[in-house]
Amino acid sequence: MRLAWVVMEKDLRLAWRHRTGWLSALAFAAISVLIYSFAFDLAARDVRPLLPGVLWTTFLFAGVFAAGTSFQHEADEGTFDAVLMSPVAPTAVFLGKAASNLIALLVVECSVLLLATILFDTTLVTPELLAIVLIGTIGYVSLTTLLSIMGSRVRSRAALLPVLSMPLLIPLLIGAVRATGAALGIEAGTAPWMMLLSVFALWSTLISALLFPIAVER
Amino acid sequence: MTNLLGRMLELRWVVLPPIVGVAMMAMIIGALVAAPREIIEGEVQRLMYIHVPSAIATYMAFFITFVASIMVLWKRDMRWDPIARGSAQVGVLFCGLVLLTGAIWGKPIWGVFWTWDARLTTTLILFLIYTAYLLARAVSDSMDEQAARYAAVIGVIGFLDVPLIQMSVRWWRTLHPQPIIFTSKPALPDEMLIVLLLGFAGILSLVLWLISLSAETERMHQRLAGLRAGVDRREGA
Repeated sequence: MRLAWVVMEKDLRLAWRHRTGWLSALAFAAISVLIYSFAFDLAARDVRPLLPGVLWTTFLFAGVFAAGTSFQHEADEGTFDAVLMSPVAPTAVFLGKAASNLIALLVVECSVLLLATILFDTTLVTPELLAIVLIGTIGYVSLTTLLSIMGSRVRSRAALLPVLSMPLLIPLLIGAVRATGAALGIEAGTAPWMMLLSVFALWSTLISALLFPIAVER
Repeated sequence: MTNLLGRMLELRWVVLPPIVGVAMMAMIIGALVAAPREIIEGEVQRLMYIHVPSAIATYMAFFITFVASIMVLWKRDMRWDPIARGSAQVGVLFCGLVLLTGAIWGKPIWGVFWTWDARLTTTLILFLIYTAYLLARAVSDSMDEQAARYAAVIGVIGFLDVPLIQMSVRWWRTLHPQPIIFTSKPALPDEMLIVLLLGFAGILSLVLWLISLSAETERMHQRLAGLRAGVDRREGA
């Protein structure tokens, strides 16, 4: 656990030093919210029915976009083997990576929530909504982190990662959009959707933490 | 024991083609001529004899991919990789066939080609997942063991995702006709049931044969790449 913390610290420090990656994810998220506003003409109508979908497509695409770079540094420098050879369990490496991705993504997502609050005049920074965003992000960050190691092996990874991860994430998207809708008061009852989200988060974290060591083992 | 199993597996080239030929012919004749015309749905109902077995065959093929992927990861044996890829290819083909025949049937019966019904949506998502699997495997080198293991990860996750997909899409209204032959008392008339069973025999044996063929092709492809690499190395030396 302590080793996972070390890996996370290292990755966060790297992410902070190479800010371009995360800033471009943030810029991408902000731009896509604006694009949705123009495309659906969100200024002129009641935005609340559309808002959950707008938010979660933005989160997912920004998340996949950001996860694509999570092993890029290792792949470019050829240091992934060194990381695996160090006396750190692969599970700890994975958990550290996923945690640093999670923290960085939560920052991006909270910024988007703030931006949307200002743009659409709807209170979006509520404890309930933050809980949904947290659980949903845990659910997808572990899978996208796991899948992004494929990127270190194949060409054309930019296109590959969304194509690989999006179909797997559809249950999460459905659950997250519905739960957000319920939190915004569009439909009744968050309970079943929160359950679906939690089950998905648990499932994806467990399976990714299990499969990662087997997949990278040499 | 292994030897006996190997010899039995060799028999697939001898045994499967005639079975496939006879069963497919029987199914086509049965579906087009022998089976009675459905009173309400009319001729288009005859698609069922392909549609339902293909759906089962799709699940079977994806299950084989799942098992072979586990073996790639667990036994670290590259011989399972061609089987995983081959059956994923056949699975995607039949999954497409299921979606296509369903759409052709849906237009006259439901009035639409496509509807976001739970079962249809699940099938579509499966189609997307395994297309992505094939894509991931296609862009990497077929000799690359690491890439094979990464693809196997998708083969495993994709199959384990199915219950979650079903759980999440079942909240929507279900339009799909409920299964009527797996209940204790089949609601299908005898002639139709016999043709449907023929359809199962035909499609399932066809799928097994196709999986054997495409796995064998993948295996030869792998071997060829290995030989090429060997020749290159020798010429370089």
